[in-house]
Amino acid sequence: MTLRLGRHAFADDATLMMAIVNRTPDSFYDQGATWAEERALERVALVVEQGAEIVDIGGIKAAPGVEISAAEEMERVVEFVARVRAAYPDLVISVDTWRASVAAAVCAAGADVINDAWGGADPELVDAAAEGGAAVICTHTGGVTPRTRPYRIEYDDVVAAAIADTVAYAERAIAAGVAKESVVIDPAHDFGKNTFHSLELTRRLGEMVDTGYPVLVSLSNKDFVGETLDLPVGSRLVGTLAATAVCALACARIYRVHEVVETRQVVDMVSSIAGRRPPRRAIRGLQ
Amino acid sequence: MTRAVLVPGVLALLPEYAGLEDPVADLRAACLEAVRWLGPDPTILADEQGARVGRSLLRAAGFETGLRPSSTTAGLLVVGNGSARRTEKAPGHLDERAHGFDDDLRAALASSDATWPDLTLGDSLWASLDGIGRLREIRPPGVTATIDYDDDPFGVQYWVMRWQW
Repeated sequence: MTLRLGRHAFADDATLMMAIVNRTPDSFYDQGATWAEERALERVALVVEQGAEIVDIGGIKAAPGVEISAAEEMERVVEFVARVRAAYPDLVISVDTWRASVAAAVCAAGADVINDAWGGADPELVDAAAEGGAAVICTHTGGVTPRTRPYRIEYDDVVAAAIADTVAYAERAIAAGVAKESVVIDPAHDFGKNTFHSLELTRRLGEMVDTGYPVLVSLSNKDFVGETLDLPVGSRLVGTLAATAVCALACARIYRVHEVVETRQVVDMVSSIAGRRPPRRAIRGLQ
Repeated sequence: MTRAVLVPGVLALLPEYAGLEDPVADLRAACLEAVRWLGPDPTILADEQGARVGRSLLRAAGFETGLRPSSTTAGLLVVGNGSARRTEKAPGHLDERAHGFDDDLRAALASSDATWPDLTLGDSLWASLDGIGRLREIRPPGVTATIDYDDDPFGVQYWVMRWQW
């Protein structure tokens, strides 16, 4: 399906890198490295240089921690979105938020995508996205409260649950007025899931792709990689890229990542193996 | 009146081997310009692979196969090239005789009054000479070539040449 992300449209076969940009002092991977606004702008410049099509700006870390009010979240992201919009007119700007009030404010500041990592916890978020002409990422969390860790959650069939919930969310977004070509689904690895769930979602990602909605995967350095390989944050890139390759083979469209260059190489390589992308430059044996 | 064109049988010219970037963009442009000058439905002088490349270039030039020439001009599309053993990185590695052979072949292609090299060396020097050998029999004396392309970007000697007689 052709994908429209706010101001930007992408061809049916385009794969997209969504680079994570944290406006937080405490996110798990970068430990606040881009908390300062200028550091965050440098991060945007770097990932644009590396070829990211999308930046995903977040003002609140996913894990439990100090409560951040909507006003403070806006303080962290709204003006920043406006600065990035002004500096990079061709860049897709996504904002990672579950709050409708924040979504409305960032759309007004120039955001193209609302990445609702908490699966529709705020029912009015889709209205804000529709109003702002933004795309929506519909994630599966198993119904957990935002910023909580999974505890003894089980599913009869985690993939069926992820499909049912994300498609229902997608249909709710469309009913609220979000354009159909602007709705993306995300199984949300680790969110409301144990490692076995996330591995199974990776293995069976093609079933999500078969819904017809473009699929986003957010795998980067997550705990399911860490537990699978018994490796701490900071040592999970290879495992992340292995999971990325499996998702690429299944035709995931958007990859939410810390490491843009490495992920792009893996996705391009897998796409070419799958026959969906020609090699960059082929001459061996063809001279 | 006869028009004749030489292009190399480079498989990278075929659409089924296209990458995102064209490694033979300059060569392709020269081939297409020469083939357009040649006109539709020429006789193709080539080995089997070369004939594929020739037909593909004709299609890319906008000539559908099966068209009859609109004028009385006869056309010859010769597909062939010099040695693929011109450097250590060349497909056939380096053969010291390759440059001398190609120099003589270039001279003979450029003017029908020059002496041809020993074409039986073609196999050992990885040169593609089936079409060129047939041109040698057909082309009359006193004809000189326009040379549109003369390079060996991958250790293989390519020419794009045009003749008219």
